[in-house]
Amino acid sequence: MSTSLDYTRQEMMAIATGRELRDDDLAIFGVGLSMLAGYFAQACHAPNIRTMTEGGVYGATPVGGLPWGIECNRISSNATSFTNAIDALGFLVASGRCDVGIIGAAQVDKFGNVNTTGIWDGDGTIGDTYRLPKTRLTGAGGANDIACGAGRVIIMVTHEAKRFADKVSYISSPGYLDGGNARERHGFVGGGPSAIVTTLGIMRPDPQTKEFVLDAWYPFSSIEEIRANTGWDLKVSSNAHVVPEPTAEELAALRRVDETGMLRKK
Amino acid sequence: MLDRPINTNRIKQMSRNKILSLAEAVKRYSWDGMQYASGAALPVGSDAVVFGRELLRQQRRHLHALFHCNTQQLNLLAAAGAVDKAECGFSGLEVFGFANGLRRAVESGQLALEDYSNLSFNLRLLAGAMNWPFAPATVNIGSDIQWRSAFAPDEQPAKHKIPTVTDPFSGREVGALSPLQPDVAAIHVSLADPLGNAIMLGTEWSRFELSRAAKKVVLIADAIVDTACMRQFPNLVRIPDIIVEAVVYWPLAAWPQSSPGFYDVDEAHMKAMNKALASAEGTAEYIKRYVEGYSDIDSYLDMIGRDTVEQLSQTETAFLLDPFRKWIKTPDEIAALSAGENP
Repeated sequence: MSTSLDYTRQEMMAIATGRELRDDDLAIFGVGLSMLAGYFAQACHAPNIRTMTEGGVYGATPVGGLPWGIECNRISSNATSFTNAIDALGFLVASGRCDVGIIGAAQVDKFGNVNTTGIWDGDGTIGDTYRLPKTRLTGAGGANDIACGAGRVIIMVTHEAKRFADKVSYISSPGYLDGGNARERHGFVGGGPSAIVTTLGIMRPDPQTKEFVLDAWYPFSSIEEIRANTGWDLKVSSNAHVVPEPTAEELAALRRVDETGMLRKK
Repeated sequence: MLDRPINTNRIKQMSRNKILSLAEAVKRYSWDGMQYASGAALPVGSDAVVFGRELLRQQRRHLHALFHCNTQQLNLLAAAGAVDKAECGFSGLEVFGFANGLRRAVESGQLALEDYSNLSFNLRLLAGAMNWPFAPATVNIGSDIQWRSAFAPDEQPAKHKIPTVTDPFSGREVGALSPLQPDVAAIHVSLADPLGNAIMLGTEWSRFELSRAAKKVVLIADAIVDTACMRQFPNLVRIPDIIVEAVVYWPLAAWPQSSPGFYDVDEAHMKAMNKALASAEGTAEYIKRYVEGYSDIDSYLDMIGRDTVEQLSQTETAFLLDPFRKWIKTPDEIAALSAGENP
């Protein structure tokens, strides 16, 4: 790495994701690294962010490192309120009250649709019948609900060609479906994905077509590397730029949250 | 605190002691082919995992599992070949990764897994509890969750999974979610009294709706408390005795998963168990050691390891239990209550 601070690509991804969050957002974080990015933002630049997990765990910050789940004791030892799934995912997300959600993806496509359900062999499609997946993944969980209802959604994903498909095999959580104003057909209260933040850079949707284009790369990555690792012909925004590297304050805040070093594993 | 004695003569005692042994509860309230729901069905937290172990000990088969999320219980039941059909909102183990037992059963075609999301699964329980014909869905629509059905693989798009209906007020098209009314729900709770009142610490997840949607409810409690505890905190009693058939006392009932206030997730066993369930041989060994490897609560705790039990119990969440401790019954007091398992 040719940069001054020592940080991993995963840490850059988490910090870039966290920078998407604003102070006072009502925010919901999916399981895993999404939670580190979200609580990093709270620990760093957005102290007034109102956080929740889909279990209805409110007012809590993780203790002892990355929680093993949205209900883990690591996020249950300093909560101010415990409610339930209908409350968090329904009353606060499906209702349209939630400003922003962070979700992960096994596979994402050029319209920001997310697959977390399965990998199919052959041509990669399921076909006309429900064909058994070669590899069964985790299913949608709360991500479908967040993708439908949150004001904006940030998709956080490791940047590898196999994960960046022209069209996902299975839409577990909707982005902009087949592009344009397709979300309007379903009347989703949420605005759709505002960014795909990866280990190599940041993509944002074109305002009209809703196709994701490259908006920024990192100090250690390049447009060429990103295009080579993207499974569609990725367009580059005319305003594309390099993302500022993490500051010492940001890294310190992130590492306080990521106590067990999940983002520092190679 | 409610320290004055309650004049129980003035309380109409319609309720009865419902404490049953785990083996007896499974014998009475499970059968081959049943629609079986577990609560909370969280992958890392609350779940009636020990009830699933007993289902295997009593060789239940052809289960139709309704699990809000996959858990180590469903992972084990699926790996053992005891489940034909399952419906879930989430089918992994969160940060512990993919559920190898469930995954193996799905990929081989042995188990048909129908996908929903965490909100839609909960709305189906709400619809079941309300006895509604369906619940309107503003989620899952427009995605493959709506149009792909593992239960009707040849139908594309699926007609009976989340069919589109028109909102009679706005004319907007929404999805229709089918109600769930499981035959039996085994629900893990933190505290239960002998009558079947229960307090859940941590997220309730969908246990409130599940307890009303299920035709029969069996509670699996980490601790048994006196009913005076429920009278002190009635707002926290989200499952009342009037809808509960039986109460099973079983400490570390969710192990290797966690229970806020009582114990943390057993990280080493979560990983070892999931690794074992990745193969038929590993599953057979796991069953021999951790399903057939105990005969009562004492030998169950021995099997986990007394040091491990002690370590898992040193949880940062232990203070959540403080307000309730004085009402917790000792194993001897519980044994006296369960003597002669009333019919």
